[in-house]
Amino acid sequence: MNMRAAARIGALFAAALVARGAGAHHALAAKFDDTRPLSLAGIVTLVDWRNPHVHVFFNVTKPDKSVENWAVELESTVLLKKSGWSRTTLAPGDAIKVDGIAARDGTRQLWGSNVTETATNRRVLNVTDTAPRPPEVARPTPRWPDGTPQLGAPTSAGGYWAYPTSSVLMQAGAKVSMNGDGVLAKLADAPQVAPFQPWALGLYQHRQQRHLADDPSFLNCKPPGAVRQFQQPYGVQFVEDRKNKRMFVLIGSGNRNYRIIYLDGRARQGQVQGDDDNPLYYGRAVGHWEGDTLVVETSGFNEDFWFSNGGLPHTDKLSLVERFSRPNLDTLRYEVTIDDPGAYTKPWSSGWELKWVGGEELPVYFCQDNRS
Amino acid sequence: MFSGARNLRRTFIGIALLAVGLVAGAALAQEGHPLKGSWLGEWTGNQVLGDNILLILDWDGKAVTGMINPGTDNIRLTKASLDPNGWVVKIEADAKDKSGAAVHYVIEGHIENLELPNRQITGTWSSQKGRGKFAVARQ
Repeated sequence: MNMRAAARIGALFAAALVARGAGAHHALAAKFDDTRPLSLAGIVTLVDWRNPHVHVFFNVTKPDKSVENWAVELESTVLLKKSGWSRTTLAPGDAIKVDGIAARDGTRQLWGSNVTETATNRRVLNVTDTAPRPPEVARPTPRWPDGTPQLGAPTSAGGYWAYPTSSVLMQAGAKVSMNGDGVLAKLADAPQVAPFQPWALGLYQHRQQRHLADDPSFLNCKPPGAVRQFQQPYGVQFVEDRKNKRMFVLIGSGNRNYRIIYLDGRARQGQVQGDDDNPLYYGRAVGHWEGDTLVVETSGFNEDFWFSNGGLPHTDKLSLVERFSRPNLDTLRYEVTIDDPGAYTKPWSSGWELKWVGGEELPVYFCQDNRS
Repeated sequence: MFSGARNLRRTFIGIALLAVGLVAGAALAQEGHPLKGSWLGEWTGNQVLGDNILLILDWDGKAVTGMINPGTDNIRLTKASLDPNGWVVKIEADAKDKSGAAVHYVIEGHIENLELPNRQITGTWSSQKGRGKFAVARQ
């Protein structure tokens, strides 16, 4: 074996050691500490371009001339591609500078907020993806020939809803500061988030203290059922089957899951013959139109998932009343009333808007990719 | 004869519990009320019912309900509570011994590894017939 081959194997071995535990998808706050900024410079050894998160491995030469292999974790391939980057943007041998935050457990990993090519000073692999700018003059709500608003794409060019104005859940009127994953700025604010029963508040606080590290959506790729499907970074797509009076909600961030809303007047029992003894991640939903608003009632949820970002508990007694409206082509208004007498002392409400991403299909994103 | 029948019964319960454990394998996910589910373990030194215990707990939105050893001894809980301050569990149940005399059980413990599907309850059990350690894990 020559020296170059030996060095290459050594680098790969070091990368594998660093990568231990780096593959698991997670809430950002669970793994990285935003109070510990870190900047490093080094030479790229490997680019692992895949979901759920891209990793770039690089060698850092320490003052004593010894070399350490580090991993910088970045957003998904979906978000990086939408920001103009690809798997060939960086290659082994490139010199880079990385700014980010350090791993909580002290391993040689950081979450990268910025990667710069040392030679060109060009920022690479940073996320610049933002919601499409709505037109100056609001475009009218697309409608079916009978005047009913269309919630899906008005043309075959496609389109979906994403960029929620809030990716966290709290009761209307609550003034609580939390990050985009739903991690509270102050744990003492927890009781304001929702009208919790004591056990539910305790469990919510426990999850918060652990920085949402136990989120089954990330640990076990559990579907983002209930409210959570409308808080996801990769959006949702409505497909309206008018002939059969049902609507499909395709979930962009949940391993291509879908939810069915029945509009044919059936009871909230799922299958026509009924299968309501089988609790589901997305429950059983029936809907009807009230003017320009689609009102959807859903129950029959299981307890195997977190129904919102942030770790709010629920029980199988959860039922939702969701109201969907499209005041113009580019806006979906989502309002929800949450009634779960197993976890909360009274029904409570919340709501936000999603933005239209026209002319595109849902991004392809599989959580299971982190298991490969 | 009595001793033989008791041993046979204990063997049967042991096999049943083992079967439950084998079927259960990894614990089923349960992100709702932390006590809800099937719990398998031991109340060490229980001369009346044996060391093995299968505990079924449920949450109806207002109260914890449940049963000990369903299908064998079939003991309904008379009281059960969970205090999230320390995740303290208190359970009471009334059973009968072989002579038909009432035996009142009190279990006191706390939940460990709350975030895991196979979380545990550890503590003590006591009755007028004895006392000992109590440890069950959610299946």
